[in-house]
Amino acid sequence: MANTEIISSLLTRQDTWRGRNLRLPRRTLGTGHNSLDLLLQGGWPTAALTELLPRRLGIGELSLLLPIVKEQSSSNQLCLWLDPPYQPYAPRLAAAGIALDRLLIVRSKNPTEWLWVAEQSIRNGALLLAWSGEQHLRYTDLRKLQLAAADSSRAAFLFSSIKTLTDPSPAALRLELDSQSVNQLQLTVRKLRGKAPGDRLELNLDHNSTQRIALNQLPTGQHHAYGSISASGSGN
Amino acid sequence: MASSSKRQEIWLYLQFPLLSLETLLPQLTPEQQSKPIAIIGHQKNVQQVLCCNSQASAWGVGKQLSLSTALALCPELLTLSRRAEQEQERLQQLALLAYSFSPEVIIHKELGLWLEISGCDRLFKGYDALLCELQNKLQQQGITAVNGLAENPLAARLLCKPSFQTHLPSSQQIQQSLQGTALYKLETSRKQQQSFKQLGLTSLADLLALPRSALSERFDAELMATIQQLNNQRPFTATRFQPPSSFYDLIHNPQGIFNKESLLFPMKTLLQRLCQYMIARQCHCLEMHWRFEPLIGESKQMSIRLSSSQNSWSMLLNLSRLQLERQELPRSIEQIILYADQFIEAPAGMFNLDLFGEQTDNRSSSDLIDSLNARLGAEALFQPVLKQENLPEQAGTLGLANQQTTTATQIDVSYGKQTPQPLWLLDKPLPVQIRNQQLYWHRPLKLISGPQRLCGNWWQNEQQRDYYLACDSKGARYWLFREAMDRRWFVHGLFA
Repeated sequence: MANTEIISSLLTRQDTWRGRNLRLPRRTLGTGHNSLDLLLQGGWPTAALTELLPRRLGIGELSLLLPIVKEQSSSNQLCLWLDPPYQPYAPRLAAAGIALDRLLIVRSKNPTEWLWVAEQSIRNGALLLAWSGEQHLRYTDLRKLQLAAADSSRAAFLFSSIKTLTDPSPAALRLELDSQSVNQLQLTVRKLRGKAPGDRLELNLDHNSTQRIALNQLPTGQHHAYGSISASGSGN
Repeated sequence: MASSSKRQEIWLYLQFPLLSLETLLPQLTPEQQSKPIAIIGHQKNVQQVLCCNSQASAWGVGKQLSLSTALALCPELLTLSRRAEQEQERLQQLALLAYSFSPEVIIHKELGLWLEISGCDRLFKGYDALLCELQNKLQQQGITAVNGLAENPLAARLLCKPSFQTHLPSSQQIQQSLQGTALYKLETSRKQQQSFKQLGLTSLADLLALPRSALSERFDAELMATIQQLNNQRPFTATRFQPPSSFYDLIHNPQGIFNKESLLFPMKTLLQRLCQYMIARQCHCLEMHWRFEPLIGESKQMSIRLSSSQNSWSMLLNLSRLQLERQELPRSIEQIILYADQFIEAPAGMFNLDLFGEQTDNRSSSDLIDSLNARLGAEALFQPVLKQENLPEQAGTLGLANQQTTTATQIDVSYGKQTPQPLWLLDKPLPVQIRNQQLYWHRPLKLISGPQRLCGNWWQNEQQRDYYLACDSKGARYWLFREAMDRRWFVHGLFA
């Protein structure tokens, strides 16, 4: 019977309500930060779209996802970055232990293509990191992505502009990212299924990046044959 | 009879009596197909009917009738001249189909095929099932075939019946019918046929009853060889069919195709043929090329590269369809050509036996890359590339995804763990202003760590840069550098 098939496929979904305690446990992916796992009730939700809304670029919004990208690439699965705002810097990614050949960067030409690539990559089991950039995504577009993620039980991440914070979104998790001082990432839960919004967390990112080196301690130019350049550079 | 130690061979001879008609049929419109049709060929300067369809036979048109007689019998008769080249191509395709039934296939120049099927019964669960399957496959291709079965190729050809037999006859039955075969069916010279008549020999039994020594005195060595072959005393040495090393096929559509949707059906047919070819050769393709040729004007090429080898036609069709959407095609397409010559051996583990299904994930990720490639074009897909260089814009670049040669393993990335490196690199360093003796980029900046000195290769550009980590009052972190030469400041990256 086809009916039993439909029912059993419905029962495997996480969002099917099955009475009080019968719901499948929420599957999550560890974020790599204990305090953040606690805030998000276990980690990044799988089978759902996660929307990240950074107030500014450069506050550590992407490094939040590096652990999960690393995990995905080490299990030999594809990670797709759709329309990143800048060029990802390969040495930094390699230093983080990410296999570069499992990383695919896609540049779309128009919103239709953007949406198609996003949906295809979720449905084909790749980890999607998408940047919506300047384009305005409609609720129905986002819902498509959320449904694709729910169907394929994959996590998908979308970086949207902070301007869309007041717009409704079908994403299971919306996190506002802000920073007040260096190396302090402030996360505010704007939406999380099964939890009231408004929780806030301060996350320390890098600890050892505040050493100053006196210029005269620097190595001189690596090509000693060109001593004249290194000599001129070490002044100050 | 063959010695018992040797495996008993079973030869199947397939003849295609209507091949010249059936090769040309798909190029006709449905209206034309329902008319009486005859294929005309030249024989000794006389135009003769070679074969005709059932509608024409109903009018009394038959084989070897001269053209004028045929037209007199049936004035509506649609006559087509024979295309020997296309027939041979079709025969090659049929040989490929037969090759999926038996590894030993021989092409007979007179529109027939030999198959040695003695080892193939277990795969098809019996010879009768094999024959039924073969008949089905041929019918799907729109081909009428008749066959003969015997213990050697020659006997199989002689015993070719006017219908398709789906039951393997016993050894005695074969011998019996062979004895009764008329001698004129043997491929011998007229002179020899004449002498058969003079001797009063009509059937093969008459010939074989004569003592061998008497025969060799009276007839030439060729006939003796034939008799030896018939008695399984001489092996059949004709060259075995091997699938060609590249695939080339076309579909001809004289009416023209005007939209992309109607292209898909012939494309599907071609891809199915390609997959049949790949299954026969046990290989997967890496690349294929389409060519769409209009009646007038320039033809359009479309190449499809695959990130991993494929042999499923539905997947290939999907990719072709995605790429077709981006293409500007000629207005009316007359001929569709599919060409592929890059094949690799099919991977040994074609079936996913892995408990955790890791292979399926890999499969789907390469499927994803292929469909992105087809829809967006190769120029939209990138991968980060590491190089052993000092300057950041040379050390980390974006390369096109399908030209990837991964060298990441050889490059030492350990230094990146000690010194801070940004996640985003600007395409071009942007100059930073200095306001009130403070660096200014959107907001006032403060240097918090560094510098790290990086030099360019002196033979390319003499640059020495001191890189600093800077932040603004709101916590955004930037990667700045100061050039040693003119002491100007630039922003080169973001710590995202």
